[in-house]
Amino acid sequence: MSAVPEYVLPSILFIAALAALRSDASAFDAFLDGAGEGLRTTAKLLPSLCALIVATSMMFASGLADALAELLSGAFAALGLPSAITPLLITRPISGSASTAAYTELISHSGPDSFVSFLASVIMGSSDTVVYVVSVYFSSVGIKRTRHAMPAAFAVMIFCILFSAFICRIFYKV
Amino acid sequence: MRLRGHAAGKAFFMLGKCFSVITILSFIYAAFTNNIGALSGAILDGAEKAVALSYSLLGVMCLWGGIMSLMTAAGMIRRLSRALRPALRLAFPYAFSSGVGADEITACVSANMLGVGNAATPLAISAMKKLQSGGEDAFDDMVTLAVLGASPPNIFPSTLIALRRAAGCADPYAVIIPIWIVSASCAVLAVTICRIVPRLFRRRV
Repeated sequence: MSAVPEYVLPSILFIAALAALRSDASAFDAFLDGAGEGLRTTAKLLPSLCALIVATSMMFASGLADALAELLSGAFAALGLPSAITPLLITRPISGSASTAAYTELISHSGPDSFVSFLASVIMGSSDTVVYVVSVYFSSVGIKRTRHAMPAAFAVMIFCILFSAFICRIFYKV
Repeated sequence: MRLRGHAAGKAFFMLGKCFSVITILSFIYAAFTNNIGALSGAILDGAEKAVALSYSLLGVMCLWGGIMSLMTAAGMIRRLSRALRPALRLAFPYAFSSGVGADEITACVSANMLGVGNAATPLAISAMKKLQSGGEDAFDDMVTLAVLGASPPNIFPSTLIALRRAAGCADPYAVIIPIWIVSASCAVLAVTICRIVPRLFRRRV
């Protein structure tokens, strides 16, 4: 079972190389274009990442993150969630940079191999920035009445968090 | 993020709010708990960490962007789209029965599954434009696309794995199978909710 994840990335590279060989010579040019685009995206992300990581590292250093976690620990414990996950849960629906900042602070704060970090990783990988996605998708075409979009997206997000906690308990090995 | 005008403005407004709220609350909390001393260090550390983080992501973002662009050029995304079509037909009955916007929807969902959200957003916007037929109300399929876009099934979380490696995880790949299970379930739930809700509240559109 543990071999499956290790196969994913090499297999993707293998398929890409095979596909490039079968198609015409321009496939590698496409790689270079896309790689350049990836570089630019990362560079463009740095300013907002800088602001948000400064803010979240203030939140952790001031003790606010722990205080918030403490405050919500009762409710979270009832749901089977470790309270240290709070900063990630608050930022995840709103922004990618903010949740990346919260995620990296969280794993350096509670150790990369802790259960909280494992759970945070699964939540990060299985959810998206709900508010951002829904508002960008709709505002781009001038839709004002989004009907059940936001409630449905949040319902899925809540399910995602609770189901992650359940699945992580099965998969997490010390 | 390739966004223009209103959409970009709205997104950055939220980001700015996020920054302000977190910073102000942290300052006030530190002042009340007599902990301001810890902040100056954390601020400079934060700025440094942002650079270190971007630096550790540069390689993966570069590689992943390249691979995805190569796959697109070599027709692999089209194949994935074709494989997804039968499943998407169930999720987007109106778009697929009329054919309007169906290609954009499959391209968008494929990009989301491969974790290239930056490529998925412009595709989603063009799908939305096709689906829209004037007015300010969202149609069922538009809502489904947005909700599914907010909870896409994730094949390979490249950025996340890079972050876990950078943090020094013993086994950065350990989370992949749980992520497959959770993200796929979320996507199924997203579509299910979006197909059931409009039937419960008979159409207002």
